[in-house]
Amino acid sequence: MPRGRRRTELAMLVFAVAVVLFAYANVGLSMTGRIPAGIVAYGLAFALLVLVAHLAIRWLAPWADPLMLPLAALLNGLGIVMIYRLQQSGRDGNSGRVISTMSTSSTVLQMIWSAVGIAAFIAVLALVREPRLLQRYTYTFGVIGLVLLAIPAVPGIGSEINGAKVWISIGSFSIQPGEFAKLALAVFFAGYLVAKRDVLSLAGRRVLGIDLPRARDLGPVLIAWGASLLILIFETDIGTSALFFGLFLVMLYIATQRTSWLLIGGGLFVAGAFAASRLFGHVGERFTIWLHPFAGNNPFGISYQLVQGLYGMGFGGVLGTGLGNGQPYWTPLVQSDFIVTAFGEELGLTGLMAILLIYGLIVQRGLRAAIAVRDPFSKLLAGGLAVVLALQVFVIVGGVTRLIPLTGITTPFLSQGGSSLVASWMLIALLMRISDTARRPAPQPIQEEGMTQVVRGR
Amino acid sequence: MNHALRRISLVILGMFLLLLLSVNYVQAFEPSSLAVQRGNARTFSQQYQFQRGSIVTADNKTIAESVHVKGIYSYQRVYPVPLVYAPVTGYDSLYSATGIEQAEDKFLSGSDPQLTVHNLIDLVTGKPKRGATVQLTINSAAQTAAYAALKATGLPAGAVAIDPSTGAILAMASYPTFNPNKYATFNSAQLRQIDNHYRFEPSQPLLNRAIEQTFPPGSTFKVVTSSTAFSSGKYTPDTRVYAPTNLKLPGTNKELINFDNLPCDDGSNPTGNGKVPLLFAFTVSCNTVFGNLGMQLGDTAIRQQAERFGMNDPNLRIPLQVAQSSYPPVPGHDPALTAYSAIGQYNDQVTPLQEAMFSAAIANHGTLMTPYMVQKVTAPDLTPLVTAQPAVLSQAVTPQVAAQVTQMMINVVKSPDGTAHATASIPGISIAAKTGTAQNGANNTGLDDAVFTCFAPSSNPQIAVGVIVKGGGLGADASAPIAVKIIQAYLASQAKR
Repeated sequence: MPRGRRRTELAMLVFAVAVVLFAYANVGLSMTGRIPAGIVAYGLAFALLVLVAHLAIRWLAPWADPLMLPLAALLNGLGIVMIYRLQQSGRDGNSGRVISTMSTSSTVLQMIWSAVGIAAFIAVLALVREPRLLQRYTYTFGVIGLVLLAIPAVPGIGSEINGAKVWISIGSFSIQPGEFAKLALAVFFAGYLVAKRDVLSLAGRRVLGIDLPRARDLGPVLIAWGASLLILIFETDIGTSALFFGLFLVMLYIATQRTSWLLIGGGLFVAGAFAASRLFGHVGERFTIWLHPFAGNNPFGISYQLVQGLYGMGFGGVLGTGLGNGQPYWTPLVQSDFIVTAFGEELGLTGLMAILLIYGLIVQRGLRAAIAVRDPFSKLLAGGLAVVLALQVFVIVGGVTRLIPLTGITTPFLSQGGSSLVASWMLIALLMRISDTARRPAPQPIQEEGMTQVVRGR
Repeated sequence: MNHALRRISLVILGMFLLLLLSVNYVQAFEPSSLAVQRGNARTFSQQYQFQRGSIVTADNKTIAESVHVKGIYSYQRVYPVPLVYAPVTGYDSLYSATGIEQAEDKFLSGSDPQLTVHNLIDLVTGKPKRGATVQLTINSAAQTAAYAALKATGLPAGAVAIDPSTGAILAMASYPTFNPNKYATFNSAQLRQIDNHYRFEPSQPLLNRAIEQTFPPGSTFKVVTSSTAFSSGKYTPDTRVYAPTNLKLPGTNKELINFDNLPCDDGSNPTGNGKVPLLFAFTVSCNTVFGNLGMQLGDTAIRQQAERFGMNDPNLRIPLQVAQSSYPPVPGHDPALTAYSAIGQYNDQVTPLQEAMFSAAIANHGTLMTPYMVQKVTAPDLTPLVTAQPAVLSQAVTPQVAAQVTQMMINVVKSPDGTAHATASIPGISIAAKTGTAQNGANNTGLDDAVFTCFAPSSNPQIAVGVIVKGGGLGADASAPIAVKIIQAYLASQAKR
């Protein structure tokens, strides 16, 4: 008899909330010597939010994976605590420097965005009762995804913040449509590839033991490649560009099982990135920052942010300085793209590895749902969503630790900012919906004890 | 599709393993190298969370200390007499340090392994971590007099005073100089502005002219040439030497002349082509005599003698790095260039410290002591960690030769003919000295550098001084009065004790 394991989820949620509250108290104790006054309000609000999410799952997706919500809630909560810690720096008698890019309402805003994110999470679960419903709107989502991607590049609507044109401003709010485009395009790719996978997996010539696809089937890959290059050129956003192309390639591979697609796509990406690094200064600069961060004037110039992040992580060492005791305020934009370095500095290697394992677990649960679910569209969608989350973590954490060239991209659930948070919650909702479908037992015939079992004639 | 999904899962597992390796590399293996990278504000700001050790003079005047302040940082560096001691203390800023602040940083910051035991005890007993106190050999009276006298010239200048019997540096002044208090700011924008200002200021205030800049020694180098001559055993101060008015330089059409083209005549050389005693030639500083003497002695012998006085040593540290004073080999032992080298011209280059070392070696019976500036390092619990042990750097000359050179240097001041008679004769103190006026610039069109080396009292030497004033003119006029003021201030402070 399969179980929904909702009680497990609730118990894990209690743990997640406890960890977050402990971290919050810790920040106050080390920064001012007192437990922050807001702990009751923030704690109740956060506990209420995750409780609502939990109840919604009991109602809307009772068979869904029990670990995803606690893991996501823990990350979201830790993100709020770190944003509170960074916002307090240099304020209210706390030591450190005020982070000029943060306002005193950062924590409240992040809390509000968390509420919006959980509302979106519930809305997705409520609207998408069956993942296959989405397949009907494959091309609609394709158009939505492309429009969302293209909007920031339109003059007058898009605004450039910190060198990347990935924002649109509505009133005083800034939204990163790319975060949502990610989800729309994952749906589109899944629908499109499920329909075309038989054609795309036809083998053409065999070269060096690899079956190459037929030349006429290269179209979709080239279009995706072109689109990602356009993002790179017009929105100067390498991270988003790499993310989309990587997502498309992996989904194409899952759909067709042809390694040749990965090789062709990977080759195209490397060639495109290399050409772009030669042709466009800002792309070439990324490589200089990556390879020579400490050379010449770079630590005080183009690689300032990267080296400050590295210094912070080095300062934290294996065990970290403890929340509130580090100096993350030296790193520019530490509250968004570089929040991982703040965790590395204050929670140490130990804490950062734990955070990476949380992401790894979410991705693993997503892939598990993909493997378990029977319907190919849902399978592809779950695989794609899990992969996009993994890629995003890889790009930003690999970037700040100098594993790969640094590209500005948000850290799911942790970074300050609404778009990323809401989109991440929607991603979790889709994965939980698919896992609910996968784990839901087949309808059982009604039987009563003591009665003769009805044997169906079919 | 499950097959592909499983393979992708493995790839993602690999990616996460890479991330784990990467964070392990940065946080477990790299921290020590990251901590010393340029621009690491965390490392520097860390040291302002506790009290850095003080720097004090030999007579216990505090010249650098950390005082408690409110704000991000708990302690800020203060230099009570900034300009006077700037070349000694250097500065300690958010991003970098110089001078003693840099050279003794391990003790001042408390990171030296010798101090970790004391810190551990403090940790257990709940006392805050503190740095060790560094006591210098600098005498505040001599240092104050040196800076005031250099400043009065208004010209770029450096002066150093040494205790000849130990090598302890009593004063080290440089002008123009900088204000290290301005480097103690916590405002990084302001700090950058200050640093750029000092760095690009044409008068080079950050340059420590006492040890970091070299000048031609001019006639003060005749101390070395005389030492070479006496050491050869062929000369005494009374040896009569060839003293032409114009010395023809072999292989050239040039002639070496004396200052103002004067003859070298003590009354016994009316033709300007005869001989005078070496003592007289030294007293009035005849270039022709010493140029000719240099050619007789040869380039190699003079160079070896110069090296026994500490020249051509690129590794001297006091503990601040000292620029190399050099007497490079004369190409092909060319006699004409040897003649110039023997009177401190051509490629000869010395620091004011080297000038003091010339006199210190002669004053200490020919034994040159290694110059040093740190007398004692004391842990916060008053345990002495380091105590300076005077050490011999080299035996420059024999005591007999030292006595002969001393006799000549006394005469430079005592004899009415002496070049320093007018400016270095003071009641009660007998000074032994040599003046130098080094020609400068292309075809010697630049202003002459005024050079002076001396020690006092001549019978019982307690202080040796080297002074160079760039563009100061005559060594006797510009530099001798500075040395005299340093000597008077130092001897007066010693008499009071």
